[in-house]
Amino acid sequence: MDPSEVEFLAEKEMVKIIPNFSLDKVYLIGGDLGPFNPGLPVDVPVWLALNLKQRQKCRIVPPAWMDVEKLEEMRDLERKEDMFTPVPSPYYMELTKLLLNYASDNIPKADEIRTLVKDIWDTRVAKLRLSADSFISQMEAHAKLDNLTLMEINTIRAFLLDSLNCMYKLRSNMQPGSSKGQLTDY
Amino acid sequence: FMCTDYHEELNHNSSIFLSLYQALFHCDQVQYTLVPVTGWQDLGTAFLEHKEQFRYFVLINCGANVDLLEMLQPDDDSIFFICDTHRPVDVVNVYNDTQIKLLIKQDDDLGVPTYDDIFRDEDDEEGGDSGNESDEGSEPSGKRRRFDEVTGLTLMIVFERRIERQRAKREWEARRREILFDYEQYEYHGTSAAMMFFELAWVLTKDTKDMLWWAVIGLTDQWVHDKITHMKYVTDIATMQRHVSRHNHRNEDEENSLSIDCMRISFEYDLRLTLYQHWSLYESICNSCYTSCHFKLWTLNGQKKLQEFLADMGLPLKQVRQKFNSMDMSIKENLREVIEESSNKYGMKDIRIQTFGVHFGFKNRFLASDMVHATAALLESTEKDESDSDNFIKALDSLSRSNLDRLHSGIDQAKKKLIAVQQTVASCICTNLILSQGPFLYCYLMEGTPDVKLFSKPMALTLLCKYLLKAFVHSTRNKRCKLLPLIMAAPKDVEKGTVIVVGIPPESETSDKKNFFGRAFEKAAESTSSRTLHDHFDTSIIELKTEDRSKFLDALITLLS
Repeated sequence: MDPSEVEFLAEKEMVKIIPNFSLDKVYLIGGDLGPFNPGLPVDVPVWLALNLKQRQKCRIVPPAWMDVEKLEEMRDLERKEDMFTPVPSPYYMELTKLLLNYASDNIPKADEIRTLVKDIWDTRVAKLRLSADSFISQMEAHAKLDNLTLMEINTIRAFLLDSLNCMYKLRSNMQPGSSKGQLTDY
Repeated sequence: FMCTDYHEELNHNSSIFLSLYQALFHCDQVQYTLVPVTGWQDLGTAFLEHKEQFRYFVLINCGANVDLLEMLQPDDDSIFFICDTHRPVDVVNVYNDTQIKLLIKQDDDLGVPTYDDIFRDEDDEEGGDSGNESDEGSEPSGKRRRFDEVTGLTLMIVFERRIERQRAKREWEARRREILFDYEQYEYHGTSAAMMFFELAWVLTKDTKDMLWWAVIGLTDQWVHDKITHMKYVTDIATMQRHVSRHNHRNEDEENSLSIDCMRISFEYDLRLTLYQHWSLYESICNSCYTSCHFKLWTLNGQKKLQEFLADMGLPLKQVRQKFNSMDMSIKENLREVIEESSNKYGMKDIRIQTFGVHFGFKNRFLASDMVHATAALLESTEKDESDSDNFIKALDSLSRSNLDRLHSGIDQAKKKLIAVQQTVASCICTNLILSQGPFLYCYLMEGTPDVKLFSKPMALTLLCKYLLKAFVHSTRNKRCKLLPLIMAAPKDVEKGTVIVVGIPPESETSDKKNFFGRAFEKAAESTSSRTLHDHFDTSIIELKTEDRSKFLDALITLLS
């Protein structure tokens, strides 16, 4: 999967906005949206929120988890634990990037939030690499990882699958009685 | 959503104003076509090309000072929206109710003559005469003699009345010519179009910080190119300051500080040294008109004074010649106040000027005047293979925050242009190239002069002209010459054999910046049948055949004496 595909999926998440125009309920294939009244908060998918923001038709309200203290707690918890801790949102990385790129004037302390989210991401990806490394070197058959987000899985997917395939090839050639000297190519 | 077709035509100066307009249009998804034009001919051609497809035409910074309907001959359902700073506005444009809509600020005093003074219904005069004429000779001869006496008398009364009416008409027409002459004699500029668009956006509550910044740049452009009086500049700055405070309070709070990447506009009482934050302090002092003229940097004495000035402030030469950003922090901290104090000693009381600066990201800081110089340099860039439209698009791009390399290249070109201007000014004064012709001063840039290609463009030549006049006023001892206006000519097109001629009003502290050369040039050209092209939207800039130069000048001298 391409990271841009993951970002595309992330844009379906709902976020609160405060529009400055009025519009009746909109009936889309994915669901109903609205009605929009100026000054009243309404939930919309991120893709619509960003489009409206760029046309200066709304103000984006940062999600509840996008707060400096909460993120600091999460980061400290992540650093303490060996396992993966629960994430603020299944698409926390993409949402942070999108919202901070287009709506940083609506998000207080945007720079600190960016740093904190990056810290959390770095910690988790480091744990993931460690875990993948031990999985391969100890030749485990299966592993269970809780609380991983799609973006994190996506970063390791290509590498992990390829290396496991290689391991399988090597292992199957080491087995006595197997098809001798035949290296199958995929 | 609205989807109307708009067609925009603009002149060279309007890229700033256009960014505002585009921003508004993008928000509402309005379709439009943009055509930059450099003069009346361009405007006419562009109009002919597009008049079939469009109904609404928006003219930015062109079209107000000429009878537009007469010139373009549009269809009856075409509507023109004009936002132009050129004054005086042509009376036909002012009084047209249907096809021409002018966008003008309410307190801009236009001084337009009243309708009755210049337009008159022709009907009532004729009706009275024709009625009486048909009465003659329709009566039988019996009563004729008596009737003849009566009709004779009536005829005389009618005749007198007719003479009276004709005399009144001639008087009215003479007065009308006088009023129109007074009205149209002086050309000047009104409130910046960018500011007007911004206020329009504000009324629609669609204003953003970017638009505010562009409006500030528009206003600063008028000040840098000396188009408005100091009073007007200060008043408009106060208006902009209100908007800036409004935007700053909206977003900033002690607890919730804004991301560093967000754009911040701040009021600055900053130095009048052109581009000093993107150059070295020394070069900026040498190439800014204000300091260069006060020190008279084209003389040896002036150079010495400059060294004294720097020593007086305690600024080591090594520091001052470095790029501004690399100067020691200890020097940069109080720089403005230190310079102001020393400047007062050297007779430069106005070294600081009220302006605005913008700052986004960690390293991007620009003053409004920096942007003006950069954009102007890009607009009139003389690099090969670049058409005027390309230059226009480049200049437009440089105004958006995402095209910083364009902006930086503009700043570099502006530096070269300023250096060229200063060197030309120095050589003109040192070689006494400015001659007094009686009612005005005259200077001709010969073909081999270095950088003369730069000065074939109207804005660059006007800038040179203004700097030159200021420098001349500072260097001459002749009191009478200090009050004269200046006309400058430079080669424009070597193949066609033409020169570009620019006239500017005299330099004075209380100047109202009103320019009478537009009409003067027209009359001089007519009386000598010189081959001229009055194509530019500023009527004080014309193109003239090189051979006709001397007779044109002689006519001007006679006209203005």
